[in-house]
Amino acid sequence: MPSGALNGIKVVDFGQMISAPFCAKLFSDYGADVIKVEAPGGDAARHMGPFPQDVPHPEKSGLYFINNTNKRGVTCDVTTAAGRAVFLQLLQWADVLVENNLPLQMKEWGLDYESIAGVNENLVVISITPFGQTGPYSGWNAYDLNAFHLSGASSRYCGRPGEMPLEHGTFAADYFGAVTGAAWGMAATYGRGNAGGGQLVDVSCAEAIAAAFVGGQNIGGYAQDGKFDKRTGVGMPLGAPATIMPCRDGHVWMLTLEIGQWQGLKQVMGNPEWADLELFDDMQARAQNADLIYPFIEEWTMQHNKMEIMEKCQAAGCPITAVFTVAEAAEHPHLAARDYFVNIEHPELGEVKNLGAPFKLPASPGGPVTAAPLLGQHNAEVYGEILGLGAAEIAQLVSDGTIGDSA
Amino acid sequence: MTRALPLKDIRVINLGWVWAGPVTGQTLSYLGAEVLKIESEARVDMTRNLPPFAEGEVSFNRSLSNHACWAGNGSVSLNLKKPEGKKLVLDLVAEADVVIENFGPGVMEKMGFGYDQLREVKDDIVLCSMPATGLSGPLKNVRTYGLSLTSITGLDSLVGYKNGGPIPVENAFSDPFAGIFSAFAIVTALNHRDNSGVGQHIDFSQQEAIMQMTGPAYMDYVLNNRVGGPKSNEHPVAAAAPHGVFPCVGEDRWISLAVPSDEEWLCLKAAMDNPAWSEEVEYSSLEKRLENIDELHAQVAQWTVGFDDYELSEKLQAQGVAAAPVLNVADLLSNPHYKARGTFIEVTHPLGFEETIYGAYVKTSRSKAQVKPGPWIGQDNERAFKGILGMDDDSYRQLIEDKVIY
Repeated sequence: MPSGALNGIKVVDFGQMISAPFCAKLFSDYGADVIKVEAPGGDAARHMGPFPQDVPHPEKSGLYFINNTNKRGVTCDVTTAAGRAVFLQLLQWADVLVENNLPLQMKEWGLDYESIAGVNENLVVISITPFGQTGPYSGWNAYDLNAFHLSGASSRYCGRPGEMPLEHGTFAADYFGAVTGAAWGMAATYGRGNAGGGQLVDVSCAEAIAAAFVGGQNIGGYAQDGKFDKRTGVGMPLGAPATIMPCRDGHVWMLTLEIGQWQGLKQVMGNPEWADLELFDDMQARAQNADLIYPFIEEWTMQHNKMEIMEKCQAAGCPITAVFTVAEAAEHPHLAARDYFVNIEHPELGEVKNLGAPFKLPASPGGPVTAAPLLGQHNAEVYGEILGLGAAEIAQLVSDGTIGDSA
Repeated sequence: MTRALPLKDIRVINLGWVWAGPVTGQTLSYLGAEVLKIESEARVDMTRNLPPFAEGEVSFNRSLSNHACWAGNGSVSLNLKKPEGKKLVLDLVAEADVVIENFGPGVMEKMGFGYDQLREVKDDIVLCSMPATGLSGPLKNVRTYGLSLTSITGLDSLVGYKNGGPIPVENAFSDPFAGIFSAFAIVTALNHRDNSGVGQHIDFSQQEAIMQMTGPAYMDYVLNNRVGGPKSNEHPVAAAAPHGVFPCVGEDRWISLAVPSDEEWLCLKAAMDNPAWSEEVEYSSLEKRLENIDELHAQVAQWTVGFDDYELSEKLQAQGVAAAPVLNVADLLSNPHYKARGTFIEVTHPLGFEETIYGAYVKTSRSKAQVKPGPWIGQDNERAFKGILGMDDDSYRQLIEDKVIY
């Protein structure tokens, strides 16, 4: 494993899909020893794309590839008594368990916090689920989509009025829950001496967004005045321009707040006559006349390309940016200059250009180095090293199905 | 057995402003750190002037959203236009473990707070810089706000109605995301400090942190050269159908429904009383449901529109279908799940009024976060200057008179 800031921290990742795997990847990418435990059938992400040429293959899922770097992988069937016992031995070894199974599922396996806390009193358990471990919805079936839309974020901030509210991005609730679990869980691990041992860190993806994003901006006002707002379909209705607009080859995020920014934009547009009203120097006056202003600006943006608009407006002091496609972001020279991308060799996918470390720690660099494990790739190594099992005993685990038949 | 919070004894000087930096401080504070935000009446943060205000009284100490978003941070008021003000910041840094800032690159150096300058007073300091696009690179000076920062990550290009253009998100999702994320970066650096004895200067590019969220679409580009676009609420990697938001009875009432497996599809069909359309071959497998997803969603919407969103969620959950109401801001306060989890709490501000903020949105079983609302400017001055720096009463009074502590 690569060296890094979290060297010495031992993590079991018993997650699937996005939230727990991405959280555990933040540990592994910064040097923790992370063992990913999969059921014999593998993480559900292995069965979802994107696959090369859209041909499903459990070792070629892009979704699995990107969220499981720097981890070792083992299989274990926790539905069997022997499998559960093996899993508990891994928890005795570990400092941290990261998981995102539904609470009722963990209970069914006898792996809910109450059942495992006694195994290792220093274990920090990071559970990341759509709705959390307590409360009336904790027994519900749910996915990322349900969590995001329970947060208030879509109704308030994303979509056109009268039309369906939208999720912001893809797996946005899972990612938000993942970084929340990483921050709180890593602090709980770091501070075990202060806290007097390990503990359960119960993250609800819905609640984290409802609180830290939507609640922070809206709940005090609503509680006091009984008034609240909904989505408008416009980036910032109190300003203009302050939204995404079409241009010749895509879209731009047009934004001017301060007077200097507005004057900069006017200048870039060639000081058109319509913009010369002194009234428009004021952001609120522009917002009140948005119906008038937007068509004029659009006439101009439609004659120009997004990168050109961004470059010229930025040079004139305006906070205007192109809406990058995923390809444009992936190929951007700024990110390349910062070594944001890393090439990773994978036995089935070949060399793949991956997103690198999400933040830079100069004294203890992190980031993905080794590819996501093949299913059960490290069974012999991990069960030998950590559980002290010999080849014959491991062979027995395979033959009786305890760690699956794929090893 | 002690039940102290995990980050007890960690002291943080927070030069962060607006939203992201204050959330970084808040996260560390909820986990037990002592966080002192440096600010001044000489340059009041814009978020302190955001309405609505407590009891309708306009004041930079009474903005309700500011108090929620800055909760957990303490406040030390220092006028940084004066050299004595800057000196006192460095005195506090000498007693701290962590410094947070979210200015543009180079601003800290100009203020006299560059990493090398901080190291002179505290050799193993952890400095977390979180500018929009990082500390280096050709775009490092890009002008952007949290509201539109997502546009340069590829994320915005994926949000919107199917076959339409991108729809802007009307507030900065990236700020709390980057704020919480950077708290992880800081504890990670503290762990390294404890292991090695050295601090470091974290280069936390908000662009790069947020771009991690585009992972699935990024992989489709890398593996298949395919460039994704908006697809309403459909599954990001086309692995569920139905997967969307459907209308219910009432104005702007909706339910979210996600059906990845055949087993869950059978549950949904049963809940709908197996209507004839659902038996058609077009919907007989996930692959077929994905092929015919527009028609499928239209059929489901015709069914959901006759139900109350909460009641239908209960009904579907009873059958094992992943369904939940789509909440608006008002619903957040009345929703039984958030009530049970104590997501939102009423607190008394030190200035005397009641207000509602969010509490510890993560539940920890051993150590309970103490949540205090966002501070009035200078709320923690006495504790910082007399308590931490050991300043005597006369010097303290003099600095207030000279508007250094201001």
